[in-house]
Amino acid sequence: MQKINKNVVLALLSLTSLVFLLFQLYYYKFYLSHKNGAGFTKVRGIQSGQDSTRWHVVRKFLGLISSHNVPVYLIDPLILGLVDKDIEQIRSSPYGPSPECKYFCVPRDFTTFALLYKTWKREVGLFRTAEKMGFQWLKIINKDPRLDGMDDLSGVEVPLHYIFKLASHAIHLVVFYERSGNYLWHGPLRLKQHMDRTFVPFRKLHFGRYPGAYGKPELLLVSIDDLEVQIPKNPSSFLEEMSHSRFLECRYREARAFFQLYPDDASLDAVEFRKKAKSLLHLAALTLNNLGVKFWLSSGTCLGWYRQCNVIPHSKDVDLGVFIRDYTADIIPAFQKAGLPLKHKFGKVEDSLELSFQGEDDVKLDIFFFYEEDDHIWNGGTQAKSGKKFKYLFPKFTLCWTEFIELKVHVPCETLQYVETNYGPDWEVPVKTWDWKTSPSNVQYNGVWPVDEWDDVIQIY
Amino acid sequence: MDEWKPNPTIKPHKKRSWYLAWKYKLMNQRALRKLCQTGAVLFLLVTVIVNIKLILDTRRAAYEEEEESAQDYDDEMLNVEVPRHPVSNKKVLDVEVYSSRSKVYVAVDGTTVLEDEAREQGRGIHVIVLNQATGHVMAKRVFDTYSPHEDEAMVLFLNMVARGRILIFTIKDEGSFHLKDTAKNVLKSLGSQVAPFLSWRDMWTFVGKKGGEVYGEKHAKSPALSTWGDPVLLKTEVHLTSVEDAECHWPDTELNRRRKRFCSKVEGYGSVCSCKDPTPIEFNPDPLKDNKVFDVPVAVIAGNRPNYLYRMLRSLLSAQGVNPQMITVFIDGYYEEPMDVVELFGLSGIQHTPISIKNARVSQHYKASLTATFNLFPDAKFAVVLEEDLDISVDFFSFLSQSIHLLEEDESLYCISAWNDQGYEHTAEDPSLLYRVETMPGLGWVLRKSLYKDELEPKWPTPEKLWDWDMWMRMPEQRKGRECIIPDISRSYHFGIVGLNMNGYFHEAYFKKHKFNTVPNVQLKNVESLRKDAYETEIHRLLGEAEVLDHSKNPCEDSFVPDTEGRVYVMFIRMEQEADFTTWTQLAKCLHIWDLDVRGNHKGLWRLFRKRNHFLVVGVPASPYSSKKPSSVTPIFMEPPAKEEGAVAVPAVAAAEQT
Repeated sequence: MQKINKNVVLALLSLTSLVFLLFQLYYYKFYLSHKNGAGFTKVRGIQSGQDSTRWHVVRKFLGLISSHNVPVYLIDPLILGLVDKDIEQIRSSPYGPSPECKYFCVPRDFTTFALLYKTWKREVGLFRTAEKMGFQWLKIINKDPRLDGMDDLSGVEVPLHYIFKLASHAIHLVVFYERSGNYLWHGPLRLKQHMDRTFVPFRKLHFGRYPGAYGKPELLLVSIDDLEVQIPKNPSSFLEEMSHSRFLECRYREARAFFQLYPDDASLDAVEFRKKAKSLLHLAALTLNNLGVKFWLSSGTCLGWYRQCNVIPHSKDVDLGVFIRDYTADIIPAFQKAGLPLKHKFGKVEDSLELSFQGEDDVKLDIFFFYEEDDHIWNGGTQAKSGKKFKYLFPKFTLCWTEFIELKVHVPCETLQYVETNYGPDWEVPVKTWDWKTSPSNVQYNGVWPVDEWDDVIQIY
Repeated sequence: MDEWKPNPTIKPHKKRSWYLAWKYKLMNQRALRKLCQTGAVLFLLVTVIVNIKLILDTRRAAYEEEEESAQDYDDEMLNVEVPRHPVSNKKVLDVEVYSSRSKVYVAVDGTTVLEDEAREQGRGIHVIVLNQATGHVMAKRVFDTYSPHEDEAMVLFLNMVARGRILIFTIKDEGSFHLKDTAKNVLKSLGSQVAPFLSWRDMWTFVGKKGGEVYGEKHAKSPALSTWGDPVLLKTEVHLTSVEDAECHWPDTELNRRRKRFCSKVEGYGSVCSCKDPTPIEFNPDPLKDNKVFDVPVAVIAGNRPNYLYRMLRSLLSAQGVNPQMITVFIDGYYEEPMDVVELFGLSGIQHTPISIKNARVSQHYKASLTATFNLFPDAKFAVVLEEDLDISVDFFSFLSQSIHLLEEDESLYCISAWNDQGYEHTAEDPSLLYRVETMPGLGWVLRKSLYKDELEPKWPTPEKLWDWDMWMRMPEQRKGRECIIPDISRSYHFGIVGLNMNGYFHEAYFKKHKFNTVPNVQLKNVESLRKDAYETEIHRLLGEAEVLDHSKNPCEDSFVPDTEGRVYVMFIRMEQEADFTTWTQLAKCLHIWDLDVRGNHKGLWRLFRKRNHFLVVGVPASPYSSKKPSSVTPIFMEPPAKEEGAVAVPAVAAAEQT
C-alpha cells in the first residue's frame, strides 16, 4: 500500500509540476505579447503573416483618410530611416511598383503619421467610417496651446493625438498645429484618469513623451511598398530635427503670478523698448539661422522668458548664447549686412569671446560664446578699461525649443538651473540695478588679459 | 519509506542490461536509494515552488511595467470627473409659480428657475419654456406688455415655440395695459381661461402645454385702479413625456444631429427646429472667384444676445466666399445659449472670462479676442472683426477681396470698414463706390496684424480705464493720420436695439434707415484710385467737374439740390480750422445723417448723395480743397440752435459707439 502511495505522490507531483510548467509557458507568452502589444514578433513561423498585417493596416488607414480628404504624411522614424537609405531611388521613380514589402512590413508596433490641423476639415464622419472598417480609436485632447498664454479664455480643447488600432497594429496620428513664430507644434501625450492605459503600449510611441517643435516640412508624394504616401522631402533632416525637437511651453501661469506681484511696466518707454527688442531679436534670429548657427536665449533675455514670458523692459539689451564650436567668422559680416554694426568684440575664439552689435536706438545685441568643459559650461566677460577677465560658470545643459515673442528659439532645457546659477535663488525678484561683474552669482574673477593682447581682445567701435 | 523493496513482480532477467544491473545495484544500496527518492521529491517540490514564484514575479513585473509605462503619459492634473447631473427618471415635475406686484418666481422640482424681485424692472409677462421630456428650461423671456408692441413680440415668440413644450406664464406688476386681443387670443388658444379677461394690475399665473393640456391657472383680480391684485401662488404637477416624443424625426445626418442637440436645449429660434421642413443650417453660398480673403480669420465678438448671434451668423454664413473654418466666435462670459448657437452652425466658439465693467469690459473682450485670433491663425496678415448684432451683406467678402490689397500696400491706411456712417437710404447710392475717410467706423472691419501687434496690443487700454475701444482707436495717438476705406453703401447692417450704448429710440434715429447692400458680386470701381496720392487726383478731378450749388438757398431744403440725376454738385461751408465742425454738425442734423460726432470726412471734405446726385461738402478755409471755391461764393455758415431742446439727450449718447 505504502509503495503505491509513494508512486501516487510521485506521479501527482510530476503532474503538478508539468501543469505549472505549462502554466508558466502560457504566462510567459501572455506577458510577452502584452509587452510587445502586437506581440508574436519573436515567433519566426508567423512573422510573414504579421508583416503583411502591418502593411494591410497601413493600407486601410491610408484608404480611410484619403476617402475623407485628410492630408497626412508619414513621420515614422523607423520607416523614414529605411526610406532614407533608398531615397535617391524612391525620388527618381516615385511611382514604380515594388517587388517586395521593404518598409511597411518591418516589425514594429506603430506606424506614425502627422496631420496638419489647419488643413483638416474637422468632420466626425471619419471616425464612424474608421469604426466600420474595424478600427478602434482613441483621441487625446488637451488645452489649445495657442491660447495657453491667455488664462481668461476657455472652452477650447483641441485634439493632440489619435491612435487607430486594428488587429495587432496601431496607427499613431500626431496632430501638428501652426503657431506664432512660423513653426509646427505637437503636444505631449497624457492620458486622462479614465483612459485605457493598455490600449496600446504607450511607452513605445515615438512622439508624445514631450511636446515638440518642427519647421514646416516640404512634402513629397511617393509610392513605397505599393502604397502612395506623403513623406518629408528630406527624411534624414526630418529625423535629425526630430532628435532634438523637445519643446518647452512658457510658464504662463507663473508669469501671471509674477505680474500680480510686480505689475508690468506699461509706460510708453517700456512699450517702445519691447518693440525694439522684439525686432532686434527677430533680426538676430534670422541672421543666425541663415548662417546655421545654433543659439539660445541667455542672461536677461532668458530670465525674461522664464519669469514673465516677455522682454524685461528695463534690461536694455538682448542676450544670446552660442557654443564656441558653432562660431564662424561669417557672423560679424552677416550682422553688419543685416544693419547691425559691431559695437565691441572681447576675447578671442580660444578664450572668453563675446560680441556686441548695435541695434536701433541704443538697444544692444550681446552674443556670448560658451565653452564646454567636462563637467561644466562657461562663458567669459571682459572689462574694457581694466582688461579684467571674468568667468561665468554653468552646469551642463541641453537645448530645447520654445516660443518667445512670436519666435521659435532655443532655451536651455534645464532653465531653472540655468537661471538660478546666473541670478541666484532670488531670481524671481526684479532687480533694476545690475552689475555684470559682481551681481551674477556664478561670476568668477579670471585674471587680466596680457597687455600686449589688448588690441586684439578688447575691440571697441 | 524504510520498507521500500524492489518490485517483486519484476523477475530478474537473464540478459540484464548494464543499466538494470546498475539500477539493481543502487536499489540494493538502501541509503543511496533513499537519498534518490528524497531528492526526486524535493526536486519536484522546488520546481512547484519556483514555478509559483515565477508566476507571481512575472505578474508583478507586468503590472509594474504597465504602471510605469503609463506614468510618463499620465495627465499631471488630477482629473476629477464632475458627476453629471443625475438624469432623473421621474415622470412628474412639481412646478411652483408666483405672481405679485413686486416679485415673481418659478420653481421646478424645488429649483428656482426664475426669480425677479428687482425694483423698477422686469415688469410684464414672464414666460418660461420647459422641455416636456427633461424639464430643462429652454427659454426665458419677459414681455413688458404694459408698453406698446411688446405683446406682438410675445405672440411672435409663442408662435415659434414648438408644439408640446411646457409654457409657464406669470405677471409681475402690470401686464395687461397693452395686451391686445390678438395676444389674448393666443393665450386663450393655449388653454388659458383667464387671459381674455386680464385687466389692469391683475395677478396671473398659468402652466400649460403648447397644443395640449392645461396644468393649472390662478388669477387675482385687482380690486381697484390704484391697487394690485393679491399675490397668487400656483402649485401644480406636470407629466413628462418620453424623449422620443419630444424630438423631431429628422433624417440622421451630421447636420441634423447638431440641430437635434440645439433644439432639445433652447427655444425661440423658429423654423430651425420645425419638425416638418426645418430651415437649413448649412448655406453653401457660391464661392468667390479669386477670393483674396478666404484665408483671413473672422472674429465675431459676442455677448449674451444669442438671438442676435443666430441672425448674424446666418447672414455671415450666407455671404458669398465665406470660409466657416476661419470663423471664431468670442463670447464675453460663460453663457450657454450663445455657445449652443455657435455649435448649431458647426463653428468654433471661445468663452472669455469677463474682465472689468461696462465699456472697459467690452474693450478687454476685444483685446482678448483679437490676440486669440492672431494666435490661432499665426499666418494671417489680417483679421475681419464683426459683432453679433450685424447683418452681413451677401457681397461682404467680395468687397473685401477686391480691396484688401490696398491695406497691405498702402501704409497710410488704418482699416477697411464695411460701414459708412453717413450711408443712409437718402444719402447713399452707388454700391461700387469707395471713399477714404479719417474716421474709423468699425461695424465690420479689417484689421492689419502688424497694426495690432506692433502698435495697438502693447498699449491697449488697461481694464481700469473705462474707455471705449473704438473711441480709443479713433484717438490721434493711435490713428496717426491714417485713414479707412469705406463703401458708399454699407456692407453691414446694425440691427441691435439692445446694447451697452443702445436703445430703441437711438436705433430708430441713427441706424434703422441705414442703407445696406443686397446686390451680389458688385464690381468695385476704381479701387486703385483709393491709394493715397491717386485719391487726391481723383478728388481734384471730381471737384473740377462739380457744379457749384446756389449758396443763397437753404442747404437743408430739398430744393437746394436740383432735380437731376447722376450729376456732381459741390457746396462750401464755413470751417475756420481743422476742428471746427459747427456748420457741418448743423448740416448733418438737418440732412438726418450722423451728427453726434464728426464722421466720414477726408481733409475737410464730405462725400454723399442727394437726390441721386453726388454731393460734395467742402469746409472753407480749413480744407485744402478750398482753392476750388469760386471767389464769388460765400461759404454757408449755420449756427447751432440756442441750447435747450435736445441738448440733454445728445451728450448722453454722444459717446455712443455702435455696440
